[in-house]
Amino acid sequence: MSALARLWAIALNTFREATRNRVLYVLVVFAALLMAFSVVLGELSLHEQTRVIKDLGLAGISGVGLVIALFLGVNLLSKELDRKTVFFVIPKPLHRHEFLAGKFVGLAVTLALLVAVMAATLAVVLALEGGLHDIALVRAEVLVLFELWLVVAVALLFSSFSSPYLSAMFTASLWVVGRNSGELRAFAEGKLSDTPIGALLSGVAAVLPDFHAFYVSGGMLGDATPVSIHGSFIGWGYVAQAGLYGAAYGGACLVIAALLFARRDFT
Amino acid sequence: MSVLSVEALRKTFVRGLARRRTEALRGVSFAVEPGEIFGFLGPNGAGKTTTIKILMGLIFASSGTARLFGTEVGRREAKQRLGYLPENPYFYDYLTVVELLDMVGRLHGLPAAQRRQRASALIEEVGLGHAAGRPLRSYSKGMLQRAGLAQALIGDPELVVLDEPMSGLDPIGRKEVRDIIVSLRRRGKTVFFSTHILSDATLLCDRVAILVRGELRDTGPLGQLLSPAIDGVEVLYTADDELGARIAAGPGQHERTSEGRVARVADLAAANAVAKAVLEGGGTLLSLAPHRQSLEELFVQEAAAPGRGAEAGS
Repeated sequence: MSALARLWAIALNTFREATRNRVLYVLVVFAALLMAFSVVLGELSLHEQTRVIKDLGLAGISGVGLVIALFLGVNLLSKELDRKTVFFVIPKPLHRHEFLAGKFVGLAVTLALLVAVMAATLAVVLALEGGLHDIALVRAEVLVLFELWLVVAVALLFSSFSSPYLSAMFTASLWVVGRNSGELRAFAEGKLSDTPIGALLSGVAAVLPDFHAFYVSGGMLGDATPVSIHGSFIGWGYVAQAGLYGAAYGGACLVIAALLFARRDFT
Repeated sequence: MSVLSVEALRKTFVRGLARRRTEALRGVSFAVEPGEIFGFLGPNGAGKTTTIKILMGLIFASSGTARLFGTEVGRREAKQRLGYLPENPYFYDYLTVVELLDMVGRLHGLPAAQRRQRASALIEEVGLGHAAGRPLRSYSKGMLQRAGLAQALIGDPELVVLDEPMSGLDPIGRKEVRDIIVSLRRRGKTVFFSTHILSDATLLCDRVAILVRGELRDTGPLGQLLSPAIDGVEVLYTADDELGARIAAGPGQHERTSEGRVARVADLAAANAVAKAVLEGGGTLLSLAPHRQSLEELFVQEAAAPGRGAEAGS
């Protein structure tokens, strides 16, 4: 039997666990309500209804997705330990790293489904208001999904050696810093260049996950081109590049998590 | 080749900031042969679960070796031939027993049709047919234990390791688990189970190992471990007060019970003398029972024997 089939058995179980969690549905309903509220806000703006719905809708997908990724990601391993299910599953014929990878894949599939559902809801809301869920929005949603997968990988790394509370705190902190990595680099290369603090900030910016790479709407790319889902947005090439970055960084997190998990005593 | 073997197994837990060391296992060695039911006995905290967790790849030994089917523990190939029921089993409580067995069947590499067929046969065998569609969170402790047995058996393992399988079960549940263990032996499986319920071990085991405070005190067939010598005889009889008083004046301890009069004497010769006096005096002999050492007495004797005094793991 292939490692892939064993990994899928764990992934399927993780998917079942996530989709049977009522909190998940509450958060998805919250995202839908936020989109509905964006229609009301849109009415208050002057001829900018579609713009407001897109902005709020995308923020809702990102925000709710982030809460779910963080909440489920940090609990992915700790729940197994707290509920002692790890005592039942580790003696089964699978490697520990397959178990870890299966947990990640299960949550990644869950998040993909959630983002798809929320994106479809946004498309319906937009259509009702005469707007279009265009390809720029699809690219932005794909980037949000990549970002969520990276959040899960980072959360999994922290939860392989620390408590869920600490893991959530570390992951959330990294996300905040990572989302502002552009500013960090600007400081390091601007006023603080050629100073030890500048060098330190550059090093930190290079090592920490660059979550800003996945939320580019309204931002500036490296060549100072402003990008927006309402105007000139990034192409599929950039999406693929960000995806590769996420895969490499997330993959490294999972490898380190697997190494830590491999020698852990489950007492 | 032994199905399971441990050699000079040691485990020391280091806990807390003060790095407090707890020696849970101190050089444990034993082997389990194919087709036998092996009882792993010991009081709570003796180190039984620690040993089993090392064998299951859940924790790592500080030193010594642990092998399953001749290969190092933790290897997937060995785990493929193994079924395990943890102590107080905790499963994914949002699953039904059908989904649980499907998941474990997938991990064992069973094709879908075989998974379905084995799962439904096992669900019937452990008596969970009426609750197959309910999530495990709604199960009682006894039902969870049965679900645990079913998941341990779905891969048709050669070796079944059960950690306290009778714990928390009512007498009927315990009998059902005993029946399943016996049927496993009939099918040629090897069963290794830990327990502190000695009557279960007496009824089931071909061999036992007795673990006390992290040290192995004895291993072998029950008949060899228990002393064959008669250490007393109990004679139960009825007699009138005069005959009763005459017999009670003789050697041994004498008392009256609801069933009749009891004379506890040192050996068979003294018991014969009591029986002769009862019969000649017009009384009725109800029973004559020689007393040999029981597993419980051996267990208490081993547990009471001085160890090295350190606290062991559970």
